[in-house]
Amino acid sequence: MSTSEVTDPSTIAEMEETIARISSHKGVEGVMIMNRQGAMIKSTLEDKEQTTAQSAELSNLTAKASSVVALLNPDDELKFLRIRSKQREILVSPEKEYILVVIQNPNAVE
Amino acid sequence: MTTSEATDASTIAEMEETIARISSHNGVEGVMIMNRQGAIVKSTLVDKEQTKTQSAELTNLTAKASNIVALLNPDDELKFLRIRSKQREILVSPEKEYILVVIQNPNESE
Repeated sequence: MSTSEVTDPSTIAEMEETIARISSHKGVEGVMIMNRQGAMIKSTLEDKEQTTAQSAELSNLTAKASSVVALLNPDDELKFLRIRSKQREILVSPEKEYILVVIQNPNAVE
Repeated sequence: MTTSEATDASTIAEMEETIARISSHNGVEGVMIMNRQGAIVKSTLVDKEQTKTQSAELTNLTAKASNIVALLNPDDELKFLRIRSKQREILVSPEKEYILVVIQNPNESE
């Protein structure tokens, strides 16, 4: 339902291409694209429930990280967020209108 | 006042040594050590108010990131958090009893 927000077919094609390219990297478990409010636009993750819960939490975290950055310097802006756990790594790349999230297993990446 | 929690002299010495070592790296703007509740144990930042606000926000952020990690897999745990902005980079390394935070300018460190 939220995909209707991204109606331009060339945008959708670009999105699919980006997701395909990133997903083909070794160790990448999932790629998610969501808007700044946390609504999922596209996700390669199979577990839909988990995806929804994650996207809400991640956009929340992104907003918080943005405010921490602004706290240090109001002119600054968040460029990238890297959450590393024992088993995997979540990479968050916020843009003006959307947030790109990649979940990868850093141990698999050489 | 919160430094009384780390009363062991050797712990304090180790802390000072770690902070000195990290601070000497090219581009490092500040090093903060706080407990899991967000209270500052040691900080090299000059602005005390900003330090306090930051530590509260960062502890909050660390807790949120921990949540997200546990969401994906309850066995997993947060190891590292890297917040990259246009002008600087905030590195958060949570441990059992404390959180180590380093603020650096990534453009300077080669």
